Amino acid sequence: MITAIARRVASGAIVLWAAATAAYLALLAAPGDIVDAIVGDGADTPQIRSQIIAEWNLDRPAVVQYLDYLLRAAQGDLGRSYLLQRPVRDVIGEQIPPTLQLAAAAAVFGMVLALILAVTTRHRWVRRVSSTAELIIVSTPPFLIGIVLLSVFSFRLGLFPVSGDRGWAALVLPAVTLGLPIAGVLAQVLRDGLDRALDEPFAVTARARGLTERAVLTRHALRHALMPAVTLLGWLSGVLIGGSVIIEQVFGRPGLGQVTLQAVSNGDMPVVLAVVVLAAAAFVVINTAADLAYLAIDPRLRRS
Amino acid sequence: MRPVRLAAAVTTLAVTLALAAACSPGSSGSPAEAEAGRPVSGGSLTWAVETEPITFNPHQYAQAKARLLVWNTFEALLTHDSQGGHLPWLSTGHEVSADGKTYTFELRTDVSFADGTKFDATAVKANIDQFLVEGYNPAVRAVQLRHLDRVEVVDPATVAFHLEQPDVLLLDFLSSPQGAQVSPKSLKEARNLKAGGPELAGTGPFILDGYIAGQEVHFTRNPAYNWAPANAGHTGPAYLDEITYRFLKESSVRVGALTSGQVQVIEGVPATDEPLITANRQLSLQRGLNSGSAYSYYLNTAHAPFDDLRVRQAFREAVDVDAVLTGVYRGSATRAWSVIGPTSPFYDKSLEKTYGGDTAKANRLLDEAGWTARDAEGFRTRDGKRLTVRLVQSAPFVRDRRDVLAQAVQAAVKQSAGIDLNVALVDQGTATKALADGEYEVFDNSRADTDAGAALNLLLHSGGAINRTGLDDPRLDKLLEEGQASSDRAKRVAAYQQVQKLTITDQALILPLYAPADQIASATTVGGLNFEPVAGVPGSAYNVWLSK
Repeated sequence: MITAIARRVASGAIVLWAAATAAYLALLAAPGDIVDAIVGDGADTPQIRSQIIAEWNLDRPAVVQYLDYLLRAAQGDLGRSYLLQRPVRDVIGEQIPPTLQLAAAAAVFGMVLALILAVTTRHRWVRRVSSTAELIIVSTPPFLIGIVLLSVFSFRLGLFPVSGDRGWAALVLPAVTLGLPIAGVLAQVLRDGLDRALDEPFAVTARARGLTERAVLTRHALRHALMPAVTLLGWLSGVLIGGSVIIEQVFGRPGLGQVTLQAVSNGDMPVVLAVVVLAAAAFVVINTAADLAYLAIDPRLRRS
Repeated sequence: MRPVRLAAAVTTLAVTLALAAACSPGSSGSPAEAEAGRPVSGGSLTWAVETEPITFNPHQYAQAKARLLVWNTFEALLTHDSQGGHLPWLSTGHEVSADGKTYTFELRTDVSFADGTKFDATAVKANIDQFLVEGYNPAVRAVQLRHLDRVEVVDPATVAFHLEQPDVLLLDFLSSPQGAQVSPKSLKEARNLKAGGPELAGTGPFILDGYIAGQEVHFTRNPAYNWAPANAGHTGPAYLDEITYRFLKESSVRVGALTSGQVQVIEGVPATDEPLITANRQLSLQRGLNSGSAYSYYLNTAHAPFDDLRVRQAFREAVDVDAVLTGVYRGSATRAWSVIGPTSPFYDKSLEKTYGGDTAKANRLLDEAGWTARDAEGFRTRDGKRLTVRLVQSAPFVRDRRDVLAQAVQAAVKQSAGIDLNVALVDQGTATKALADGEYEVFDNSRADTDAGAALNLLLHSGGAINRTGLDDPRLDKLLEEGQASSDRAKRVAAYQQVQKLTITDQALILPLYAPADQIASATTVGGLNFEPVAGVPGSAYNVWLSK
């Protein structure tokens, strides 16, 4: 048990290091240097450049900067944002709660809706309607979903406020916008899993024991159908992070998405690196959770 | 976007028909003033703005869109009047020495910062000295304070600026956000000085007391405030108890938030959304033209093909700017004829309608310059080489749909004269590299400096920090230096008229496109909304009220 945990922690650390290094190399390979990014479209003279270089110690070789960064990151010092002139820990720290709130609400909404859809739409034509609707949602850009939801439920009906992190009412539309595509994909996967599970011999056995179709579905088939859906949890974390960039922009919400977008487009290296490491950490955690979920769902795995 | 636009268009049409008999509110002027009645004190206002400032420290100010927030909390020694001159603000008057090298300011003695610190000459010196700290703001030190020798505290109410050479632009600096006065206590104690925020105290009519990154910034009235400049509209504290600026980056969301009453004022209304405002009797729209330099294409004379005056002239003649602007902005843009914005006192009106849009002339000039052959795609060639010019746009700084405008210009020059305008929308690093390597023929820019001279120094002087024309003309440098040194308005006007003649008429160095503008849309219950004199951007909330 302890070796298993140790192995997981070690592999998690390697993932974090690899993610930070890959992001560092990518930013290094991008055209223009950090001084260009800090100068922006403002005045640009050799004196201005030399002052910027002096201020941020940019005259050291890239390898030294990289090692220095790793060393300080290991001690919990993520540096200062070039653009915002504040400690990265503050910049990121204050954006984590609204992001988590949005991600959790969207994930829960998406998963619950997917479950309901997959289980309740078993009849032929209902199922066709639902399936088509899911495909449409999945292939619609979240930006458009957000604007449509806003113009109907906020601008026309006035049910929810448009902007900001103002209590639960303001969380509804962003969470629905982000959660709908998740529900679309998960519902398809679940339904497919249910179909396959209901064709298995154990389903026949269960029916022969006199179980109702509903009991066969929820007690036996659903367990099987959940396995591929759980595998998608890793993909889910990517969707939540990527989608939040758009959602935050449309709804004027605080969060990591906008911070990331701004940092990437301005070459704000310390912030980008911190976000990448954070995202990698989230990915590791979610995948660990998925592994544990397998054990909970499938008793056979517990024995081996 | 299409379904929404369609829905919006249908709604607009319906509303327009319903209002057909009623008078439609004007798109400029201020109908709000009439409906909002007389100023009343109290109330809280919510204003949706497009841009979240990178910093709340006025010394680090670099975004014209953030200017309206600066003046809520901070104030400068001078402010602009509507004629392009200066009015005392935190000062009571100033004198310039005969040699133009010493500017002495008498200061108000009744002003305090919100943290209780008294405003005096020592505070002014502390603010200027802060710029001399290594790495604090190298750009201001290298540009605006280039000629500053030292600041002298003569007595608590008198401060003198000693310059190494005459520089009238000092006055512009002292009326700009970068010249705003921050409490010396904050300068010393703030943990994140360059980022600013609630820990920086100013003297302004509001106190910044809440900032949620990515969402909003909140100001509360400063009850002790009693030192507004003469042109502020009233005296004493501000009308509003509090004001919240929400950051809504999407224009359609801003407009929707306004039409549904979730906010009372918005800033930044694109041409496509203007009908939604003007068709609604509960709303009004105002526009203000910005100061500084017009949005223009600067042509790179350092290498072919724009090293040839005829090709530069031809490029300009090949574009029907009016048609292009109408296509992209539906008549809401103001055409520019000079590199200097039309609201500046230095603007040369006689340049209007002296060039441009003459296709026959464009083709004749290109024939003369030897670009006579055509390739398979219809572009002109010379010695087998296509007439290609490259425009590199840095995506983070593209606004006002300037990427779409570039495509329209691209189509125009191709169709009318066979010029291949190659437009690349790239990241900042790639753009900087292209500019540094000279891998461009067209450079686009507009600057929001309140004194157009400051913009021209950067863009046209051979030593200018963003001079991309490659032109090194001692006459031009001399004229720009004259314009900067003289404190005599008439002499400055004469110098800048010569600059415009040389760059626009003689050298065809620049294709001016439009004068950047700002828009404010508001509920008619809001009064006192205004644009800052000269700068032309939305003003602070000092004079704004909410009728009850």
